[in-house]
Amino acid sequence: MVDAARHPKVDVRTYTEVERVEGFVGNFKVQLREKSRYVIADRCNGCGECAKVCPIEVPNYFDMNLAPRKAIDVPMSQSVPLVYSIDMDACIHCYKCVDACGKLEAIDFSMEDKLVWEDVGSIVVATGYSHFDPSVMPEYGYGRYPNVVTAIEMERLNNSAGPTAGNLIRPSDGANPKRLAIINCVGSRDKRFNPWCSNFCCMYAIKNAILLKQAYPDMDITVYYIDIRTPSKGYEEFYDRARKMDIHFTQGRPSLITEDPETRNLFVHSEDVALGRVTEREYDMVMLNQAAIPQPDADEMSSVLNISQSPGGWFMEYHPKLRPIDTPTDGIFLAGACQGIKDIPASVAQGSAAAARAGRVLHAKEWEIEPVVAVVWEDRCISAKGKKCGLCAKACPYGAIEYEVGKAAHVVTAKCHGCGGCVAECPHNAITQLHFTDAQILAQIHALLAEKPEEKILAFRCNWCSYPGADLAGTSHFEYSANERGLRVMCAARMDADFIYEAFRLGAGAVLYSGCHPQDCHYITGQRVGARRAERLLKAFEKMGMTPGRFRVEWISAAEGDKYARVINEMQATLDSIPKEKLLEEIERLRPQMEKRARRMRETPQVEKALEYSRELETAMTGKEV
Amino acid sequence: MAGDNGNEELRIGVYVCHCGSNIAGVIDPKVVAEYASTLPGVVHATDTLYACADSGQSLIKEDIKKYNLNRVVVAACSVKMHEPTFRAVVAEAGLNPFLMEMANIREQCTWAHGHDPEGALEKAKDLTAAAVAKASFLRPLDMIKVPITKRAMVIGGGVAGINAALDLGDQGIETILVEKQPTIGGVMAQLNKTFPTMDCSI
Repeated sequence: MVDAARHPKVDVRTYTEVERVEGFVGNFKVQLREKSRYVIADRCNGCGECAKVCPIEVPNYFDMNLAPRKAIDVPMSQSVPLVYSIDMDACIHCYKCVDACGKLEAIDFSMEDKLVWEDVGSIVVATGYSHFDPSVMPEYGYGRYPNVVTAIEMERLNNSAGPTAGNLIRPSDGANPKRLAIINCVGSRDKRFNPWCSNFCCMYAIKNAILLKQAYPDMDITVYYIDIRTPSKGYEEFYDRARKMDIHFTQGRPSLITEDPETRNLFVHSEDVALGRVTEREYDMVMLNQAAIPQPDADEMSSVLNISQSPGGWFMEYHPKLRPIDTPTDGIFLAGACQGIKDIPASVAQGSAAAARAGRVLHAKEWEIEPVVAVVWEDRCISAKGKKCGLCAKACPYGAIEYEVGKAAHVVTAKCHGCGGCVAECPHNAITQLHFTDAQILAQIHALLAEKPEEKILAFRCNWCSYPGADLAGTSHFEYSANERGLRVMCAARMDADFIYEAFRLGAGAVLYSGCHPQDCHYITGQRVGARRAERLLKAFEKMGMTPGRFRVEWISAAEGDKYARVINEMQATLDSIPKEKLLEEIERLRPQMEKRARRMRETPQVEKALEYSRELETAMTGKEV
Repeated sequence: MAGDNGNEELRIGVYVCHCGSNIAGVIDPKVVAEYASTLPGVVHATDTLYACADSGQSLIKEDIKKYNLNRVVVAACSVKMHEPTFRAVVAEAGLNPFLMEMANIREQCTWAHGHDPEGALEKAKDLTAAAVAKASFLRPLDMIKVPITKRAMVIGGGVAGINAALDLGDQGIETILVEKQPTIGGVMAQLNKTFPTMDCSI
């Protein structure tokens, strides 16, 4: 901790939150909110005279609210930086602290939050984890029975820098407990709350048991567990050491804790697998080894940073095995438990790994990004002809399009992130996206629907969520109908209505329109642009009398391989439920309307060529003249 | 049939990967390659045991020269896996990296349709044909080069964040370590000794 504060290259900004992140690899702009401490950091010398005179006490979060701190205080004596701050919700404005501070004049009641922008080339996200609150589990009585404490409360009670100076007392009467139960997997490996294993709690239970046994050799300690998991170096040996210290390990997940209202002693009811029966044992104190869960603001952080989340809310890595430190956003890396629960050695290792990955970017002279940007065909833009439009600029999440009546719209390449929303929104087909042009995509659609199109499910997937979601379905070997034909574009925003009309015109049995969930969108609001269009399409097809389910809109994240497989199988079931003649009749009936709606597409440069090529390709694929 | 970039004749090479038994265990890559050889613009199509291995990469590079290929289609795994690999391969042979297109016949075909080898084969042919179709309209593109601000930010001052910031600092990179609480340290600072060595946490 102190090393970080002393490091000449590291600028520690505490009591500071990230508000906004803009830009791209090598060129991020981050807005920080430096919360007001009401103490000038440069002047405060950490002497603590202010806290001595402060008459107000508030619970200290750092001690899990087991002890008070003053309204002006530091969370702990080794705080880095050692700068006091005032809790304005508690302060009564008696100004005794101002007097105590005296000539230092470090206290400033007029201080306000400061918003600052910082330019950085790379970001490492290391926002950590939070603790499961066991009070939602009525069977363990946490919150009702004073002598049932959580693991992190135990840490403070047994810590020489904690509120009791390391003297373990039970909260009901201040007595030293003689009999202690530690219960593992509280809120972990429990389908009601969190399905995951919280990784470090087995070792954590053993550590606390050993520490307490060393401090209180007569203490009777029992660890209740489902399985003991000690896979890392030196961990099994550590477990072995605990067993030799006469610490009891009972395999069984306690079903109930009851309390003697007079003594406040606790009775743990549990199966004991070794004995093959249910036991009820009396303890003075119980420690609940609670689950690790994502930070409460993980969802918010994920949308500020534009990074996605795995099931459960952990931040998602680019690839679970091959790129575990990277996020799908170039230049943003993950370290520590925010990516998935890990213990201290693993967190430290991942911190170093993230620094190395970030260094790879930061030491480069320049960084290459894919040129999948939008380009305007100036002669086709109606704005150039003096007509009001601006739909492209409205669709752009980055303000990358300059629009002025009388001039053709202009894409500022450096600002364009390449979602393709403007391309699909332009009603005059006056914009294209490099590497994802209309001609290229139409050629793909034609190839995918060349044979027996009525049996096919054409699936449009975005590059960042649904395409990797489909990958995950395959990696996990979730089977789905082989009639699916996938097509990748960068974002749901690029899924032009013309593509969907063309697919149905060609006789597609079903079409899937899928992208990220709104909060996961890689292009801020790209998904919303796509979602609004999808809504319009759904309504239009309903009006035309299309069988419901032939056009389906689903938001599927990179972590939802199971959902991808399920959706495709459901679409197959929809197709199977329509008699073939009825389906073919419906396709024929709707074809003229589809053709009419997609007619503008044919004016797009290169599209005629693509259609011409497609005829040739279809002939080759099917052996029939088209 | 001309390509997208002028009057150049299309000369597409198609490589269908076995990926050991990952693909070849469900479908016959040879059949897909033979099929691809009949598609317009395709001048050479073959199967290869591991397209991403040295031998597979060398084959593609040699063929680009031998058959004067101007587009390459690799029917193998996900673009998330090997698009950078095959872009680099064609670039080494002097082709613009954006003239390479992949068909995902592993994650999105054989791995998901092990129960239906016939359906998987038909799908693999279609996906390969779609990649050939797209390849026909690919244009050479240049990467956009952006400058780098040599400064880093670490969000979160727990043990992982502190360590990342120190390592970045030691690399000579100016680093801002942002922590929302009044002190850095995170959960680790709250702990009383740590396993398995029982040393102090701060």
